[in-house]
Amino acid sequence: MNHESARANVPSRFLRSRPGWTFWVRRYEFILATLALIVGYAVFLLPGEEATPVGRGVSIGVFLLLALAWSANILVDGEKSDWFKGIVAFGLVFVSCWLFYRYSGTEWDKLGKSFFNWEKMQGAWPELLEGLLVTLELAAISAVLSILVGLVVAVLRSLGSPTLNVFLIAYLDIFRSIPMIVLMVFIYYALPYLGIELKSVTATIVALALGYGAYAAESFRAGIESVYFGQMEAARALGLTRLQTMRLVILPQAIKVVIPPLTGNMVAMLKETAVASVVASPELLKRAKEIYVGKANPTALVAAAFIYLVVLLPLTRLANWLENRLKDRMKTR
Amino acid sequence: MNKEINSEVMIEVIDLHKYFKELHVLKGISTKITRGEVVAIMGPSGGGKSTFLRCMNRLEEPGSGQIIVEGVDITSPYVDINKVRTEIGMVFQLFNLFPHLTAIENIKMAPINVRKISDKEATERGMALLEKVGLVDKAHSYPDQLSGGQQQRVAIARALAMQPQIMFFDEPTSALDPEMIGEVLDVMRAMAEEGMTMVVVSHEMGFINEAADRVLLLADGVIEEEGTPTQIFKNPTQQRTKDFLGKILSL
Repeated sequence: MNHESARANVPSRFLRSRPGWTFWVRRYEFILATLALIVGYAVFLLPGEEATPVGRGVSIGVFLLLALAWSANILVDGEKSDWFKGIVAFGLVFVSCWLFYRYSGTEWDKLGKSFFNWEKMQGAWPELLEGLLVTLELAAISAVLSILVGLVVAVLRSLGSPTLNVFLIAYLDIFRSIPMIVLMVFIYYALPYLGIELKSVTATIVALALGYGAYAAESFRAGIESVYFGQMEAARALGLTRLQTMRLVILPQAIKVVIPPLTGNMVAMLKETAVASVVASPELLKRAKEIYVGKANPTALVAAAFIYLVVLLPLTRLANWLENRLKDRMKTR
Repeated sequence: MNKEINSEVMIEVIDLHKYFKELHVLKGISTKITRGEVVAIMGPSGGGKSTFLRCMNRLEEPGSGQIIVEGVDITSPYVDINKVRTEIGMVFQLFNLFPHLTAIENIKMAPINVRKISDKEATERGMALLEKVGLVDKAHSYPDQLSGGQQQRVAIARALAMQPQIMFFDEPTSALDPEMIGEVLDVMRAMAEEGMTMVVVSHEMGFINEAADRVLLLADGVIEEEGTPTQIFKNPTQQRTKDFLGKILSL
């Protein structure tokens, strides 16, 4: 037990003189009574449809404040159990949602018809899934290329040549400063004037590989620098060349520092493939936009958002899990 | 020592200087190391002992002067330093074993990748060396599963696996707990008896007295005094040598 929590457990003089006494706002009698009061307020005092806007606003505001105060009183109490606090927190969220649903003035029917009109999506799903396939393909190829670019740049930087470093740092700084959308537009629309014409998919891959290659290079550099310099000396003293040292000694040790940020970058890149729709790569967002225009209904965009969510949520979880696992392992090693 | 010392010069150092920025660390060192000789380098910290050793396999770039290893001037920019290093085994103060490899893998790596011998041959050679340092049962342990003394013995085996002509030891026992120093010194003593040429930066007086043919006392970047261990320990001529020895002996 650390110092602070030890001190927190010593009751004040006020409490010491009153053994077994609980502050009245923390007692369950009080909590139940106030809950009854709030429920009563909700049943009898919350306005119906006919109330004036001002009256509604004041009345709802007071109700919300009461509910917040009541929950806060429980949530800040260290003596209350976690499951009780959990129920209270979810209850508060539920009540807020209900208030929004009832009083926000949203026309739920219209909203459903335009954004969640699944009938309009009939026959459009295969196209969306095709788009997803293109997205995954773009991401996979760009991921491999960007890791290669990053590895090569980081290894070249570790050689410590000042001349070479000027160029490498210029690459890293420039490509990390340009927004991906600008980079893609530039590669797709401007390079043809220089005689370099790339197909939209190729342009996307080049932009992603170069842009994320710069990030990957930084991850690799951090990993390489994390390896104790005595490792390099020991390897070189045995007669290994710089490259052999890198391949056999430094990189195998660097990799556990490199993997977590690299996975994070790759997940971010998968998300950023959506930008490719501006250069007409037939990926998920582009397909969704086409359906949106064709059917004059934005449900396809919502569907695309769901697909992104379904694919990326597990991946972000995976990235987090990997990071924690490697962190734990480093602590023990 | 009753050991036969060949007069063939292995390393000749001529007027070696080394600067770290403005700091003049080595101020003109000249010496010769002959085949089979065991040379101990002693001296106060900051005197340039480790720097001198590390210049001789160019882990530090020498400033000026010549270092001639088996007839090759290794200060020349045209020399293939990797080739020179294969003939010089080095043992570090902090062992510097590769933590991602087992003991036997640590030993095999350089022979396989630099000497280009087969995995089978390297394994045989590695196991023989582990036997020599008394760690056959630890062949498949990772460095973090070994004690400091065991790690340093594996590090010695790793250096020996390249079959070097000469071995450098950079304070091999100063990071060890006292009870583990003996096992490392025993291995080194055995190597000296087998006639290995050795340059040892160390303050282990007992070991030096027994195994070394010559002691170099390095202070402030120059060889302050040079001679057999008996000469240096019993009849030091320089005041600085006396001060230094007095300090170690008073410990």
